[in-house]
Amino acid sequence: MITVSNLTKQFRQTVPKEGRFSGIRTLLSRDYRVKYAVSDISFTIPEGEFVGYIGPNGAGKSTTIKMLAGILHPTSGTVQIDGLSPHRHRRAVARKLGVLFGQRTQLWWDLPTADSFDILAAMYGLEPQRKRERIGMLAELLELDPFMATPVRKLSLGQRMRADIAAALLHDPDILFFDEPTIGLDVTAKKNIREFLRQINRELGKTILLTTHDMDDIEQLCTRVIVINEGALSFDGTIPELRRRIGLPTLMSVTYRGEVIVDSGVFDALSIKEIDGRTVIATCNRAKMSAMEALRLLETLGEIEDIHMEEPNFEDIVHHIY
Amino acid sequence: MKTLRIYRLLVASSIRSRMQYKFNFWFSSAMSAFISAVEFAMLAVILHKFGHIQGWSLTESGYLYAVLHLGRTIYRTFASDVHHLEKYLVSGDLDGLLLRPIPVLLGLMTLNVSIRIGELVQGLAILIWSLHGLIASGQIGFAALPLTFIAIVSGAALMFGIGLATASVGFWITRIEVLQNITEDAARTAAQYPLTIYPKWMQGLLLGIIPIAFANYMPALYILRGQGGWWLVAASALIALLALAAGMALWRVGLSRYQSTGS
Repeated sequence: MITVSNLTKQFRQTVPKEGRFSGIRTLLSRDYRVKYAVSDISFTIPEGEFVGYIGPNGAGKSTTIKMLAGILHPTSGTVQIDGLSPHRHRRAVARKLGVLFGQRTQLWWDLPTADSFDILAAMYGLEPQRKRERIGMLAELLELDPFMATPVRKLSLGQRMRADIAAALLHDPDILFFDEPTIGLDVTAKKNIREFLRQINRELGKTILLTTHDMDDIEQLCTRVIVINEGALSFDGTIPELRRRIGLPTLMSVTYRGEVIVDSGVFDALSIKEIDGRTVIATCNRAKMSAMEALRLLETLGEIEDIHMEEPNFEDIVHHIY
Repeated sequence: MKTLRIYRLLVASSIRSRMQYKFNFWFSSAMSAFISAVEFAMLAVILHKFGHIQGWSLTESGYLYAVLHLGRTIYRTFASDVHHLEKYLVSGDLDGLLLRPIPVLLGLMTLNVSIRIGELVQGLAILIWSLHGLIASGQIGFAALPLTFIAIVSGAALMFGIGLATASVGFWITRIEVLQNITEDAARTAAQYPLTIYPKWMQGLLLGIIPIAFANYMPALYILRGQGGWWLVAASALIALLALAAGMALWRVGLSRYQSTGS
């Protein structure tokens, strides 16, 4: 259970001076510009939920994750992980969390992969028996065995990411923060990692907070999406809700048995885009009209032979909110 | 006890990491020994020419030099990357340490551990040579040995305290290289020589502001010359503990101000 209330983080930046001797004047200046990386964010994530945390670059995603993990101290507001504050009880919270930063490995760069697991096991105080079980299980699920003896610096990106995921899960935490776990990976590797994340969420009931720029990750995995933009929360809900709120049109392509004559005046929430012989392409605003209503309207034009509907692409939706 | 076990394990893995680059490991060990040997050779040349510095003989100066350098070697061996905190602040690499259920300082102390064999051997050689000369001439007795040991260990703690406090300032100002040049490097270089060669204000600085003189000169006054009393050694140890406590306190406050970096 993660509870975030009125979380705010501000950074002070010196205002650079312009004009003559700007360098020296900047050095002597006491002018600060306060920049809100995160401002007044509140949300609650119950156990077992898979939440996507998205936003453009610089929106404050990583800053939020770092405050949740106890790396940064909030300027104001509170974070509670199972009732504990991550910065006041950093070490206790660290045991409950598994954190992965896709851009930066947590493994020991020059040592064989297996050694990193040994070191982590000691840090988290895993018993030898338990350690063997965990490493055995993770190695099987993530297919780590072929490179357990290879130094981390010689791993491919896909291998390194799998090893990093295993490292984050080694101490069997209940809450997982994954910051861009599929960044830079090829399609197959992405698919495998998604499958694995889905599995640990559905089958093991882990709570997962995922930040990513890959909208397929979000669409395929998350039950809930939180959108942050310029430090502020701009949406919190399910993916269908997000679709509805944006009201992007659904594309309907209908093929009739015979030629159709269209009287465009009939439809208001439905607009005809294109007529090509027996095929009519229409768009329908789902916020105003359900798919069934739209179909009923289209039926009045003639006998329908085939129908194809295309929901708006998730990427377009997100583009819209940013 | 558990902390100690983790410390040992982390140090061992750090050393194994460095052993991956064997040439670099041995070469840097040899180089650092060579550099400090040259340093001492210069001191020896001066002493040879003049016989003494402000009444401090070659063996006595060797003793001051060796005690200081052994203390520093211990500090830098056990707390290696504390000195390089700037690197972690600039790159945001401290993040990784903050995620683990161990004290951040413990984690930092075990990264990039270097075994300073060269400096250790060289420091011990000079110390043994100085002690041998001093005992042979009857200036000191064997009672000086345990006191010397205490002086070295407390000197290490003192330098750790100063180093930690300086590094912690980095949480406010990020770049600390210049500050370290003053509080660590310049102060230590100054303490290689008997304090009496400096003007009064400089002596005050090395006793009161950056109390590096307590790492070798002050305990040596009693150990080598019987000046003051045994309390000089005890006071040096006490000041070392105070410096360490101050460093730790500053570290804790600084850590709460850690800003990480964008990603």
